[in-house]
Amino acid sequence: MRELCATAIDVATAAGAEYADARVVVKRDQLVATKNGRVDRMTDSESEGIGVRVLVNGAWGFACDRRLTDEGARNAAQRACTFARAAAGRHSRALAPVEARQGRHESAVERDPFAVSLADKVDLCLRADAALEGGDVIVRQVMVRARREHKILLSSEGTDVEQILTESGAGMDCAAARDGVFQLRSYPSAHVGSSSQAGWEYVDGLRLADEAPRVAEQAAALVRADPCPSGITDVVLDADQVALQVHESVGHPTELDRVYGTEASYAGTSFLKPGDLGSLKYGSEHMNITADPTTPSGLGSFAFDDEGVPAKRTPVVERGCLTGFLTSRETAARIGAGGGGSMRADGWNRMPLVRMTNLHIEPGEGTLDDLLAGVDDGIYMETNRSWSIDDKRLNFQFGTQIAWEIKHGKLGRMLRDATYTGITPEFWGSLDAVAGRDAWQLYGLTNCGKGQPGQSAHVSHGAAPARFRKVQVGVKS
Amino acid sequence: MSALDVARLALEAAGGEAEAVAHSERSGLARFAGSEVHQPTLIENVVVTLRVVRGNRVGVATTNKVGDEGLAELVGRAATAAESAPPDESFPGLAPPTRPPDAGGYDEATAALGPDEQARLAAAAIDAAGEIPVYGFFTSAVSELSVASSTGLGVEQRMTDATALVVAAGEGCSGYAERTAWRAEDIDPGAVTREASEKAERTRGAATVDPGVYAAVLEPYAFADLLDYFSHDSLGALGVLEKRSYLSGRLGDAVVDEKITIRDDPVDTHGLPKAFDFEGTPKQPVTLVEHGVARGVVWDRTTAARAQNGATTTGHAGPVESRDWGPLPYCLSVAPGDAESVDELAERVGDGIYITRLHYLGVIDPREGVVTGMTRDGTFRIRDGKIAEPLVNLRFTVSVPDMLRDVYGLTRAASLVNSQNFYGERYPYGVLAPALATARFNITGVGSTPGI
Repeated sequence: MRELCATAIDVATAAGAEYADARVVVKRDQLVATKNGRVDRMTDSESEGIGVRVLVNGAWGFACDRRLTDEGARNAAQRACTFARAAAGRHSRALAPVEARQGRHESAVERDPFAVSLADKVDLCLRADAALEGGDVIVRQVMVRARREHKILLSSEGTDVEQILTESGAGMDCAAARDGVFQLRSYPSAHVGSSSQAGWEYVDGLRLADEAPRVAEQAAALVRADPCPSGITDVVLDADQVALQVHESVGHPTELDRVYGTEASYAGTSFLKPGDLGSLKYGSEHMNITADPTTPSGLGSFAFDDEGVPAKRTPVVERGCLTGFLTSRETAARIGAGGGGSMRADGWNRMPLVRMTNLHIEPGEGTLDDLLAGVDDGIYMETNRSWSIDDKRLNFQFGTQIAWEIKHGKLGRMLRDATYTGITPEFWGSLDAVAGRDAWQLYGLTNCGKGQPGQSAHVSHGAAPARFRKVQVGVKS
Repeated sequence: MSALDVARLALEAAGGEAEAVAHSERSGLARFAGSEVHQPTLIENVVVTLRVVRGNRVGVATTNKVGDEGLAELVGRAATAAESAPPDESFPGLAPPTRPPDAGGYDEATAALGPDEQARLAAAAIDAAGEIPVYGFFTSAVSELSVASSTGLGVEQRMTDATALVVAAGEGCSGYAERTAWRAEDIDPGAVTREASEKAERTRGAATVDPGVYAAVLEPYAFADLLDYFSHDSLGALGVLEKRSYLSGRLGDAVVDEKITIRDDPVDTHGLPKAFDFEGTPKQPVTLVEHGVARGVVWDRTTAARAQNGATTTGHAGPVESRDWGPLPYCLSVAPGDAESVDELAERVGDGIYITRLHYLGVIDPREGVVTGMTRDGTFRIRDGKIAEPLVNLRFTVSVPDMLRDVYGLTRAASLVNSQNFYGERYPYGVLAPALATARFNITGVGSTPGI
């Protein structure tokens, strides 16, 4: 595979590229999903190919070929150069300098997820599925997944890195319905469960069958629960919902390509400006956000990004002040700060984009109970259900699967259909506590969309429960 | 080698009872920002999905390695999956042989477009911009879908599609336009830019409004987006079987205004026609809502078998990666009305809000069809029956059926609005929708000013 990358780079530079990189990616995905006691999906997918990115006269070009052959590599390189030459505009792109690195990296895996038989995976799902049965439960879904991505990146600057990244994940959803009310409860998260860059030990640790009765019981209780009332009140979010809040209202707006407008036609832009770096008040002093592709088991962990930049921990928000962006070499050169390190591509047939890696809110102090104790009258919300945010990542409305009222520091009656809405800096400004390290968890989601053509990224967020004051909750249709 | 050749090779390698779906793509997408191309992507791929059947045990595997070795591995993985699966008594079997009609939707000239032409058409969009920078893309593709199975089934369809999409955006202003067709010559990228730019010019100095329920005019872009989201839970059989569809228990009831008729019309050449689904079943036109009355949903073989109510497939099985949703209407079409223009719809509204496009929709309550999102790239006040001053982006939270319950009218002309975001393998689909005037559109929050 390394030779094919080298061939592609030779062809591209001979065709006039002042810069070229070539990635060979071989990927395998396995998914087992059961629904209501039967296997709903059982797929085993492989995809491989080479993607070549070039700069010709300052213009980018990208082309790919599924054939891992000399002809495929040459074809991709030549077509990338053709497209770059044809690209309209006034191109003068610079890349932040990085030292060309050579290296190899492999995920730490205790138990290879592909060595676990499909029959065992089906059995695990069906056992959890059976444990989800209960009154008013109408849909029981359980899934387990695994991915292995083997990629080699070479560049015309001498980068030569090889990485083998392995993921495992699992989750379950339980839907209940009664008298026209439909409710959903999930574990450990709502977004295709949760995944980790780890072996099957991660799935074992989730103890799906043990958690299932609680999930089913809560789903059934939700269809009888009162709707969340509307009003302005104090809110405590569980770690899962805080992770989603970080993703949508900090992760995406700090992607520097969005700040410069290059996602304007699809995912949107950002309320942040390049000049905000180091000065913008993003939130309260309790808000500390870090981008960290070195996090053990993070879905966004790697040794090198897809431009060959070594992984590095970067503060993004410190004590409420914006101190960093997520960058590529190109955007880093443009802003004159940093050296990239957040470029990731969804497989061999997509161009790398600025993406989140692992983006965490740093823990504070105390427990969830401590946070609740500080609320006289409010709402506690758990597990994301719906999410929507505007193109500048300012106005958001999120909903959770379940909520409870908080009265005099204690949880009271269960509530359904809880939503809350706000404006990003105002909302983060109302943060007055984050729970401590013991309550901090790592969530891995696999459905972060961006780019045209579309790309899905796998990212992790570490988060702990957090408390926000005077939040608008319970938006009605 | 055609997609059908690939499917037949996979089927031959499998030997026994099996189905192979081959899906190929050759596409170019010239994406631009700030009036220059910054992400030009050329893709060539073919993916084959093999479903192996052992009695009533089923296993699926996918690959893009279509040589002898790759297909042998594919067969091995699919067979292992089948042998690992418990028996599924509700498995409906593979689709019988059929001869679907020629649906059209293929244009030789569009298929022949290469990177130079794709870049030239993107440049045509860029060059038509005035002082306001433009962001968007031109893309075209040829894709082939084929299904072959041990029942003797062997069907194929070649499809072309092209889209020009432009957001014209500057400080405090933005406008949007898009054209999609299966014939690239039907798209004038310059005209798309001019529409977006003209809209953007009118959005400067945007004001706010108080949250509340307003009458509204939705351009086809906005109406199509809402319908597409609504359809995932409510217009497919799985949503009905799982009781999260708005139509669960309401089939036969008058659910919306009698001016509303919604169909899935796979052979309408004004849309992106489809001959058969991913199980190889010919697509049938399905009336979903007729003059306000809920009439039906779309089905595939799996949901029809599980319903045990006499339902049969309507040919709406989707790609493997979308099977979680069950069968979906990929050719949604809303019957037009009698209004000559959006201006006439604004006259009927009198006082309200004009919405061009929506952003980042989220389903809050599938059972009641409640969706939230933001308006974007051209929101205006309607006063005295005229489109008036620009507004900031607005958050809305609406029940789609409630929005359609009291309709002032629809335009006579409908537009094809692209619904694919080009994730995974290219499968062109969209919604054919007119503009809509509704009595109720619930604004629940106020966002930022338009533009960059």
